[in-house]
Amino acid sequence: MQSDLLEPFYEAIKDQEQRLRNLAAEDRKIIGYFCTYTPVELIHASGFIPMRVMGGTRTLTKADSLAPSFVCPYLRAALDKALNGEYSFLSGIVQGYTCDAACGVVRIWERNIPGEIFHTLALPYCDSVHSRRFFHSEIDALNVKFRAIDGGFNEQSLADSIELYGKIRRLVLEFYKMRYDGRLAIPASEFLAVIQAGFVTPPEDYLGMLERLAGAAELAAAANRGGTRVLVSGSLVEDGKVLDLVEESGGLIVADDLCTGIRNFYPASGFGLHPIERVIDRYMNRAPCPCRSRVSDRLPFLEDLLERSKAQGVIFLFQKYCTPHLADHPSLVEHCKAKGIPSIATEMEETGVNEGQLRTRLEAFFEMLR
Amino acid sequence: MEKTGKSRKRLKAAKELNRVVTEYYVECGRAKTEEKPVGWLPPMNGAIEIFYAMDIQPVFPENWSPICAAFGLAERNFEVAEGMGYSRDLCGYMRNIIGYVHGLMNEEGTPLGGLPEPDILLSPGGGCVPVIKIFQELERRFPKAKVYPADLPQVPTEEILPHHLDYSIAEINRLVDFLSEATGRKLDLDRLREVVKLSDRACELWDEIMTYRRCIPTPFSAAEIGIMFVMVTRQGTQTAVDFLTTVRDEVKEKSAQGLGVLEQEKIRLFWDNIPLWYNMGLFNHFEGMGGVVVAETYSSAWSLRLDTDRPIEALALKSLKSYPLVSCVSVDKRVEMVVKACKEYSIDGAILHRNKSCLPITLGQMDIKKALEAELGIPSIVIDADHMDSRNFSVDQFQTRVDAFMEMLLAKKS
Ligand code: SF4
Ligand code: SF4
Repeated sequence: MQSDLLEPFYEAIKDQEQRLRNLAAEDRKIIGYFCTYTPVELIHASGFIPMRVMGGTRTLTKADSLAPSFVCPYLRAALDKALNGEYSFLSGIVQGYTCDAACGVVRIWERNIPGEIFHTLALPYCDSVHSRRFFHSEIDALNVKFRAIDGGFNEQSLADSIELYGKIRRLVLEFYKMRYDGRLAIPASEFLAVIQAGFVTPPEDYLGMLERLAGAAELAAAANRGGTRVLVSGSLVEDGKVLDLVEESGGLIVADDLCTGIRNFYPASGFGLHPIERVIDRYMNRAPCPCRSRVSDRLPFLEDLLERSKAQGVIFLFQKYCTPHLADHPSLVEHCKAKGIPSIATEMEETGVNEGQLRTRLEAFFEMLR
Repeated sequence: MEKTGKSRKRLKAAKELNRVVTEYYVECGRAKTEEKPVGWLPPMNGAIEIFYAMDIQPVFPENWSPICAAFGLAERNFEVAEGMGYSRDLCGYMRNIIGYVHGLMNEEGTPLGGLPEPDILLSPGGGCVPVIKIFQELERRFPKAKVYPADLPQVPTEEILPHHLDYSIAEINRLVDFLSEATGRKLDLDRLREVVKLSDRACELWDEIMTYRRCIPTPFSAAEIGIMFVMVTRQGTQTAVDFLTTVRDEVKEKSAQGLGVLEQEKIRLFWDNIPLWYNMGLFNHFEGMGGVVVAETYSSAWSLRLDTDRPIEALALKSLKSYPLVSCVSVDKRVEMVVKACKEYSIDGAILHRNKSCLPITLGQMDIKKALEAELGIPSIVIDADHMDSRNFSVDQFQTRVDAFMEMLLAKKS
């Protein structure tokens, strides 16, 4: 609907492979990652382009030979793409440790697909002087690996990257605020595209795209979208169709707690004298994901989102087999219930969602909320 | 063949094992009346030795799951957990223990007396996600227990750097402080040294026992793998050392006499991933066709020799290495270990259990398959099953596939 305004974002997604291939041909090293726990600033400050690996909905041809069917569809599709050579422009994978599946897929990728750097950053689970010191050493060790492939960051380059990403995050968080207040005119699936474009675009370019978008009056113009206000929470959503389905069935997505949503952006930056300390501090205070946090850590964040957005219900969207999210689900439902917030859950499979069935369930859910 | 069943055991030590298992659970139950603090913890880390050294009763919810499977309690536990909303796609250990603490634990008459309530919970940061989530649920279920939120770097064994070890040591020291504060008990370093020596001795014996399985014919098979119980729950105790000495003596004697599981051992098999706890009888199935499972990945992961002169450092290192060695954290190392074992144990074929209940051990398995084929020409077969949930296991399919595999191996050999 806002095609002109959002065209650059959709184009960036559509042409990602070609654009990234061109950059790689110009000797830029592109490094893939899976989760929002990967400190992209470190990759960028080292002279590389970070790219969030996506899977997409596809018929898998090669993943079966290396990964069982009970890995989440996202990672299976990503691995399949890589095995088919579609990620041959990547110099490797650098990933912050999150779930068992992602950890394993990095190792399998390394064994079966060429690349010069494969690394999983061991992140601390606790926040203490010791754990911050440990994290600092872990970051230093990663820098040694970056240097070995002709990159590496220093204090200045890291400070610059932190600033750049800080600007990006602040802009996107501003869009979130607009959405809470009903001032963001675009559907959730289009907002997802705005976010996804950032996964595959060099951050300097992406910042420019966001700034132009922020300046466009139309973005906030027609904020007369209706529907029951809901928050979507869960793992990673790649295909905006499921969000459309929610909004077509009577919902209005006003907030999210997704891997491909706010968890990628909040907070914009961290505190500290040295840039490494700022990276660490941001990590320690970031939007919690079930891979690395307790339900009790997630609740305040979720409650805050519900309050700001005035959402009346929660829709849980899980990647099938996503252990961290499935494991937290029962307690989250219980807490929502106690707060008088109804919820519904659905899983995204390799073939996407069962549209007909989901539509019926959603309609019934919104009927009940009305 | 039945869907569930116990294995036929041939070692005399199997009887002794029943006594050791019962005694352990009696000891757990007695702790409450003796006012000994009870701590629940995940396996595969250096905390167990600390618990024994400080005279805190260690309880392993993960180990309770195979016991539930063997006693046929798992279905009931699954029902409770699934009724609470826990997805059937979650690890069976997780659904079993959550179901148990919310169901059967509140009832009388559980086999072996059930588990005593925890005074302390060692809630891990590190290891697999299901174990992390099990303990987070236990925190909610036992709000009076004192919680130690642990932290451990998840790093491939071959990539451990000094800062990983330093942090792991700092974490062991923090644990000791926490336990002292929570229980009023102090850690005596001499006592810890003793415990670490016993733990190391158990590993030494374990390694020796496993070496005898290289003999042709092999003196015992995976059907006896229950002996691993002491490696999980009793590391650092005289009980483990005594029991393993008995096993060693028996196995050594059998090997010296050339006594094997089968008189005519035709095919030597390797098993990857956790056994099907509700059907250990599967391991006997191969025997009808002259096959014996002589080595497994899972059993070797519980033995790590310790530097007894530096107990804290040794435990820190053990904590860092144990889980990665068995999981997808260290796929390279795991592949290397399996290839080495298959060579040393003169393996003819490998059975890879694609375990719906354990993603971290299953991921990387296909790389093992490829390496066995490429480096040793050893064929393998992938079996879809589940170590806890018998609903994810089809006996018929298992039998058809395994029989065909055995026939192929027999034909290849002759
Ligand atoms: S969707 Fe879930 S299982 Fe998949 S990578 Fe994300 S956290 Fe891991
Ligand atoms: S069986 Fe596997 S997934 Fe389950 S708790 Fe053990 S290591 Fe974790």
